[in-house]
Amino acid sequence: MARKLPPKDVAIIGLGWTGSILANELTDAGLEVVAVERGPWRDTGTDFSITYMQDELRYRLRHELFLRNSQMSVTFRNKTSETALPVRTWGAFMLGNGAGGAGVHWKPKPGGFSPPTLRSRAT
Amino acid sequence: MVTPDGWKYLTPQEARAVEAFVDRLIPADELSPGGKDCGCAIYIDRQLAGPYGRLDGYYMSGPFQKGTKQQGPQSPITPAQDYRTALAALDTACRGKYSGKAFAELADNEKDEVIKGLEDGSLKLDGADSQEFFKLILKDTQTGFLADPIYGGNKDMASWKMIGFPGARYDYRDWIDKHNQRIPLPPVGISNHPNWSQ
Repeated sequence: MARKLPPKDVAIIGLGWTGSILANELTDAGLEVVAVERGPWRDTGTDFSITYMQDELRYRLRHELFLRNSQMSVTFRNKTSETALPVRTWGAFMLGNGAGGAGVHWKPKPGGFSPPTLRSRAT
Repeated sequence: MVTPDGWKYLTPQEARAVEAFVDRLIPADELSPGGKDCGCAIYIDRQLAGPYGRLDGYYMSGPFQKGTKQQGPQSPITPAQDYRTALAALDTACRGKYSGKAFAELADNEKDEVIKGLEDGSLKLDGADSQEFFKLILKDTQTGFLADPIYGGNKDMASWKMIGFPGARYDYRDWIDKHNQRIPLPPVGISNHPNWSQ
């Protein structure tokens, strides 16, 4: 049964990478924001626990924090001469699921030069 | 540590074949115990009995057609189905070629001949693709060998000791500035740590 939620200034559909940044900017600007996310809430202690987040089988190979292709997927092809086929399991890219979305597997590329790069120029 | 309280998916005959297979893919030597003693067959059995065996979560609606490598897996056959069909066909093929002996009963060099035949496709399996099955069991054996021991393989963290991997540790603050130096700490698994009581 549909629930009528209290009115807000902004409704964001999807609290992934993009939705989270939008929500942050808009609330900083003083607006009341509600986000509607299909997937689960993510908590540091449960979803990123230091005692089992190293489990590469669970998180890296079986993609536990990502959207299940059986729930929703896309078709894919490299060229228009190919037939686009369903992405049956994630490969080159992975769609997120829950608060934070695909942000859970991105890391920033730090600006500036790393020590090996500086060293190779000097020698 | 997982103790084998019976096979959850494989039949006794299938289990014998898988144990023999993983022992040839990872033979016992100075680097590590063999695949069987490392629990690779237990790992495979537990995986086949669970969501991985069924490809739960995969998009498995048709129609199915072969794609490019970049388009990823496009087969309707699950790992559980593939092992069941391929292992039966493997024993049949071996009996035909090696005087009635099943795969597990062959000498090591004969097993290696058979495995090579699967890898290059020269040994045909009735109802299964030899090369696809070889890739599948190789990948599963490697995964079982290197995953955390809670999944049944990598017994006593044998693979991590072999490669010097610290395992499920999380605090590397003391090591960040020590470039190109091995971390001299023994590996720990998710369910065991020297500081925890058993």
